[in-house]
Amino acid sequence: MSTDPSPAGFVVIDGARFSYGGAWPAIVDGIDWTIPRGELHCLLGRSGCGKTTLLKLAAGLILPEEGTIRIGGETLRGPGERIGFVFQAPTLLGWLSALDNVLLPISLKRRVTARDRAAALDLLALVGLAELAARRPFELSGGQQSRVAVARALIGEPDLLLLDEPFAALDALTREELQDDLLRLCGMRGTTALFVTHDIAEAVYLADRVAVMAAGRVHHAQPVPLPRPRHRDMRYSPAFAATCRDLRDAMDVGTGIAPSQRPAA
Amino acid sequence: MTARLPSLLLLLALLAGWEAWCRLGAVPALILPPPSDVLATLWSEMATGRLWPHLAVTATEMALGLCIGAIVGLCAGILLAEFPALSRLLRPYVLASQLVPKLALGPLFIIWFGFGLTPTIVITALICFFPLMENTVTGLAEVDPARRELFRMLGAGRLQTLLRLKLPAALPVILAGLRVAVVLALVGAVVGEFVGGRSGLGASIIAAQSVMDSSLIFALFIVITALGMLLYEAVRVLERRVLHRFPKG
Repeated sequence: MSTDPSPAGFVVIDGARFSYGGAWPAIVDGIDWTIPRGELHCLLGRSGCGKTTLLKLAAGLILPEEGTIRIGGETLRGPGERIGFVFQAPTLLGWLSALDNVLLPISLKRRVTARDRAAALDLLALVGLAELAARRPFELSGGQQSRVAVARALIGEPDLLLLDEPFAALDALTREELQDDLLRLCGMRGTTALFVTHDIAEAVYLADRVAVMAAGRVHHAQPVPLPRPRHRDMRYSPAFAATCRDLRDAMDVGTGIAPSQRPAA
Repeated sequence: MTARLPSLLLLLALLAGWEAWCRLGAVPALILPPPSDVLATLWSEMATGRLWPHLAVTATEMALGLCIGAIVGLCAGILLAEFPALSRLLRPYVLASQLVPKLALGPLFIIWFGFGLTPTIVITALICFFPLMENTVTGLAEVDPARRELFRMLGAGRLQTLLRLKLPAALPVILAGLRVAVVLALVGAVVGEFVGGRSGLGASIIAAQSVMDSSLIFALFIVITALGMLLYEAVRVLERRVLHRFPKG
């Protein structure tokens, strides 16, 4: 790992503003946010609050109209090479095996070596799919597909992992398993991550810090007072419940403010 | 086999009814030859060997026309899908080229290419071109935007995105276009021979008509239908193999 040139944070979002075609109101409306290296932050918000757009800005898939996004001190000007992205849907390629799907980021850049294969198999083993490496996506369950997608995002050993509600379509138990897998994988490599979700409990369980978004702005942010590593039992602790309630209140406040900022639907 | 049994029985019943109608109803053989006559004619055409050169000519025209039309259609589809500006420029002309009745181009092609196989191959290729092009454009345009975004995130170039994502994803739609093209190729080859062919199954039909040999015309229908079914099934087999094996190939 290179030394971090910006002491303020590894990911620095500075006054980012974005609207599709200059329309009003902006989807992302002047957001400042900083993620120190190795931390996992969650963006929490209702559908349409601009959190996915902010995540795409952080990925470099779209560029801000105002403000900058810096990763490791460098301003993003296009899709970041050291960034792994996990989409809402697994977006696996149906004609490739699970293993080849994990290797896709590498095979697009160069020839796949035996070492790459070993690394991909390791990753698949880490998400519990060692035996299913040869299967095609349609032979996997939804949860297994999501695991493959997470492994694919991690194969290039990214410095930053961006996740866009990757587990939203899964059942509650599978979701909890995948959350544990994700924490383990990020913890192993000290990966910095930004996780978008509308699920309060998911945000609290995963994050070091949670930002609540509404109408394109972060209007509430708070640290999660839970120690690392996280454990299933923590989901039932008083501190967990209290944080969830705080965030829930913050989300309600968001809607209270919103009508004055948005044209009536 | 049990699934095909009913349609086979239906065929036999229809043939028996046809035969009975011809014999009992005293339909003139010139208007409607009984199936037994048709089969006898077909057999003699095969036994004397007169049929085979014509079959070979039509099959060659069909195969070459299909290959050329399919490859040009695929390439044109890729170009139109990848370059919207080109699509806006050329679409009306491509459409016009398809709306001109191809049969009407036959006489012109004979002037251009002579009386050999070439004019028929060109007509067949023109006919096969369109379904391949249309399906390629549709297939490439329908690729999931999230997967395109994934490829952008992974830093894939335009050509890589085309070869590694868009074409494989569009393959089922493209192959469906090929299936349509096979059926049209047969029409193209036979109809092309009507206009300018000296040999081939279509030319044989014209020759049979000139001597009022309707039982030979029916025999040729059978050969043409069999040829079409054979090629259609061949493409189906290809489709299954490609769609199944493509990932590993």
